[in-house]
Amino acid sequence: MRNWRAGAIVAATFVAGCTGTIGTADTSGGSKNNGSNQGSGGGQPSGSGSGSGKTPGSGGGAVSGSASGSGGGSGTSAGSGGATVGPGGTPSSDCAPGIAPTSQVPRLTNAQYDRTVRDLLGVSGIAASGNVSPSTLLATDQDGSLTSLAWSAHQTVADQIATQVMADPTLKKKFISCTPSTTGAGATCFHDTIVAFGRKAFRRPLTDDEVTAFTKVVTNGAQLTATGSNDEIAQALLYMFLISPSFIMRAEITGSADSAGHYALSSYEVASRLSYMLWGSTPDDTLSAAADKNQLTTPAQILAQAQRMIQDPKAHDMVASFHQYYLLMGTNTRWDQANKDPNLFPAFSQAKVPDMENETLTFFDKVTFGGGTFQDLLLSPKAYVNANLAPLYGLNASDYGTDLKEVTLDSAQRPGFLTRLAFLNAYSAYNRTSPILRGAFITKQVLAVPIGSPPPGADTTPLPSTADLDTNRKQVDQQTSASACATCHHTYINPPGFVMEAYNTAGAWQTKEATTGAPIDTVVDAAIDGQLVHLSNPAELMAKIAASPGAQKQYANKWVSYAYQREGDPNDCGTVTTLTTKISAGGYTIANLITDLTQTDSFRMRAEVTP
Amino acid sequence: MKRRVFLRGVAGAALATPFLSSLHEKKAKGAAATTPVRNVFFYTHNGCLTDRWFPKTTSGALTASDLMAGTLAPLAPYVSKLMIPRGFRSMNQYGSGQTIDPHDQACGSKLTCAPIDANNKRYATAVSLDHTIAAAINPAGKDPLVLSVGAASTSIKEIISFSAPGTAFPATVNPTTVYNQLTGIFGSGTSSGGGSTVTPADYHVARGKSAIDLVTADLNRFKALKMSGADQQRISDWLDLLRQTETGMGGTGTMVTPSSCSSATAMGPPLNITQAAVTAGSPSGPIAAGAFAGTNNTGTGATNLATSFTLGGDMMLNLIALSMICDTNRSIIMLYPGYVTFNWDGIMHTHDHHGLSHRTGDFSVGGSCGVTGVIDMIQQIDSWYAGKFAKLVGLLDSIGEGDGTLLDHTATTWLPELSDGATHNTNNLPIIIAGGANGYLKTGQVINVDTGTPDAGKSTSTCQDGGSIGYTGSMGGNLPINKLYVTLMNAVGMRNTDGSKITTFGVMDGMNANPGISNPGEVTAITTGH
Repeated sequence: MRNWRAGAIVAATFVAGCTGTIGTADTSGGSKNNGSNQGSGGGQPSGSGSGSGKTPGSGGGAVSGSASGSGGGSGTSAGSGGATVGPGGTPSSDCAPGIAPTSQVPRLTNAQYDRTVRDLLGVSGIAASGNVSPSTLLATDQDGSLTSLAWSAHQTVADQIATQVMADPTLKKKFISCTPSTTGAGATCFHDTIVAFGRKAFRRPLTDDEVTAFTKVVTNGAQLTATGSNDEIAQALLYMFLISPSFIMRAEITGSADSAGHYALSSYEVASRLSYMLWGSTPDDTLSAAADKNQLTTPAQILAQAQRMIQDPKAHDMVASFHQYYLLMGTNTRWDQANKDPNLFPAFSQAKVPDMENETLTFFDKVTFGGGTFQDLLLSPKAYVNANLAPLYGLNASDYGTDLKEVTLDSAQRPGFLTRLAFLNAYSAYNRTSPILRGAFITKQVLAVPIGSPPPGADTTPLPSTADLDTNRKQVDQQTSASACATCHHTYINPPGFVMEAYNTAGAWQTKEATTGAPIDTVVDAAIDGQLVHLSNPAELMAKIAASPGAQKQYANKWVSYAYQREGDPNDCGTVTTLTTKISAGGYTIANLITDLTQTDSFRMRAEVTP
Repeated sequence: MKRRVFLRGVAGAALATPFLSSLHEKKAKGAAATTPVRNVFFYTHNGCLTDRWFPKTTSGALTASDLMAGTLAPLAPYVSKLMIPRGFRSMNQYGSGQTIDPHDQACGSKLTCAPIDANNKRYATAVSLDHTIAAAINPAGKDPLVLSVGAASTSIKEIISFSAPGTAFPATVNPTTVYNQLTGIFGSGTSSGGGSTVTPADYHVARGKSAIDLVTADLNRFKALKMSGADQQRISDWLDLLRQTETGMGGTGTMVTPSSCSSATAMGPPLNITQAAVTAGSPSGPIAAGAFAGTNNTGTGATNLATSFTLGGDMMLNLIALSMICDTNRSIIMLYPGYVTFNWDGIMHTHDHHGLSHRTGDFSVGGSCGVTGVIDMIQQIDSWYAGKFAKLVGLLDSIGEGDGTLLDHTATTWLPELSDGATHNTNNLPIIIAGGANGYLKTGQVINVDTGTPDAGKSTSTCQDGGSIGYTGSMGGNLPINKLYVTLMNAVGMRNTDGSKITTFGVMDGMNANPGISNPGEVTAITTGH
């Protein structure tokens, strides 16, 4: 099984709040979009100000947890990302679909830069700097203009890459595969290299002026290099390409506006959008050939490429990154920081957390690339288990090795990713479960119910612990029964959390409260899509979520946001609606959803940011 | 023993007129000066034990023994160059303005004095002071130098710099990135004092010029296109960067690199910036960051975090000094992340700084003191940061410049996120300013800028032996920090276009966030009047 965590570029993306008010800094994964650990995404939202949509009302996800330790137990409360509507607010139906205005000159994000130089030149680590990934030496992604430090860093990194490529015959061939000479077959070598590599680096053919400009580097090679040797000149050429704005920016500049003020992208620009969306990297030769033949203008042509590309291994990284964005996962998030009392939960250890996360990411990967649907994400009983994780699933560790092995669990106990160890451990506390953490996550991140911020001071509400409150559920129910709390908590947040009491804080199935022996009660009336639904157990909850239009729309919305790198832009409402309808109809594979994202008008066209 | 390294021929470049590269309104032109005055912020999170941080003296001369008695002990040798203004409050304390999150508000509003946007990653809705200052006094108006350690972050919890409303300016965390930029400048500068080691015939120079020509041509093709104003700005800003590079290479322009900016200066004491030292402080693998209610003390990530905080952070301080010597930046921030578990320099904690500052050990607020010995642990962290601030101050003071030291020609301010980490208050902020800004600010004193007697605060009033956390904040100290920023802007030489002093920055507290501050002007109590 693939280890998703290996090689993760660590970027701090905080999701837990301080006081009860809140959770994440970003509501739709904004800071993650800008971080350097995204697959295809990140970094370049639309325009500068206008058109860049407000985040959806679902707001932020993670919440402050209950205190660890027995003396603690000061209030837990849900966070929200600043949504303004109260509970039960539903999205309006005045959708006016359009083409979202976008910047015409977005720069490669650090993650995209790493993948691009890997695919163009075979460089994954900068030998001269301790074999770090190139983006480690670049400035942190940010939306403003290129800063002097960032520009300087680009030049330094370009220099180091060029040196490294020319020093390694395997890499060198990816840049220049002929031997220059003054006469004979090698006479056109530099010219051919400029044309061929320039085509790849700029993701379009060079203009004659550009070829002339780069040729001057060759002509003046003796003055620009130490001894004027062919290799030195080639190295200078490669450096020039890597610092060129047309390499660093994924420019969208062609076309003329139609009557609606929209511009059709060129085939080259479509190719770039395709590869950066599906792979987070530069087009491959097949895609480039299609662009050269101008065969990326119709939805059918684009779909054919997208369907080919999604089967490429490079698409798996993107799918993993998307689900991390959707569920606030990733390094340095709550998912990564789970910790439990070793006396109470000897089967847990922090060393197992990476395996838990890998399991969940493998789950998403297998569903997506195995022809699965959104519904399968919530319902599939498949798990990916090794010796570390087996005991927490009630399985025999000796039946497993270190690698994750696919297992089919009891579908009554383990439907979908919300019943896998990673989520159950992440959204609960050190020595007890937190129905509020699990419930709020399900309510906001999955069901996309826009609950507002708790009132100031809510987080200091103590957890009552009288003898009659013999389950965690009863304690939390009492804790949140004040009039200021009850509406959100008793109707929306707590019920899903109470259903999830079926799993203890380390993710094991439980039917009795460990501290008192009282039976776990998972029967609730939960508000789902604006209606109260009677649920008895996790399987019923997951079935309801899988069939929930709200949850389906949230998934579609997140895909649109992630794929198009803009959060909840109102212009994309039509696309979100279309995808949601398809998910609701059933049998709509996630793979098709992804390739359908290339079929919209807004994928093929662009609109200008009005100044 | 301090070693003074005298800089010969510091160019003291005539300050460039603010370039068009800035995205926001210019406040003022920098005043011409023979030696630039720099503004430095040293930023830490989660408050401190205020009643051990503040010296007992609430007003008047500050003495070494005042400092030796508390957390600021490492700063005692530099007392004559220090000033502690008592009584500032930063804008948008949780509950006084917005109620989104105390930390997000504290960070977002700290240098912007503006509300944060709940719908845009909680980023600030205004440009931050470091950018305002940079645009006015930096050579060619370029961006400030914002440095940190640990893992790179774009979370509002680690962002205090905003290049435009809603646009975060994240810190650079890799010393190698900063070092590479500075070494690129060595030997390429010319100055009135010394000679350049590179002759125009050098192929490096020729190659650099050729690169500039190519890139400029590329950008000019974009410039000729019809694009949005914002996109045009991106292109023109990039072109400005090229012009800066060109002037640095002996081309036309006003940026001049001092002759003291050389590899010899960098590698010698007290900076000791060698390639090996820089690499030692630049971990090559993932760096852990952020720990809630638990620890992340195992694995490569944790080791790299420790390396980054210690070797990396110290190297950043050295690079800050070198940046001043090379005059590549006069608006500087050094920011330490707030959500890490200290496991270095003899400190071995099991809870992260943020959790400890709450006294609960995690992100929950109120209730009982959750960690045995939590006050001692917070004190360890406070002392560690005091040591680092002292290190920066001492380093800058050991490098001669003109008739004084580098430090003298700076306002180097320890600016905290909060006063007390459990109360999350931003009144009565523990602030200390070193250097005096070339005589503009008073030094060697504690100065009460608000009315009433300054309160040391109740940080250690509870949790020495467990129990209930209670109230750990302080009373009073509510003068808007906007006025401190106005003072600093004037201190580094900014003026309005008519030559008058700056009088306003940002907005004040208040639910309606009225523009401007009700009592404009700098805080004359902390200025020398020169």
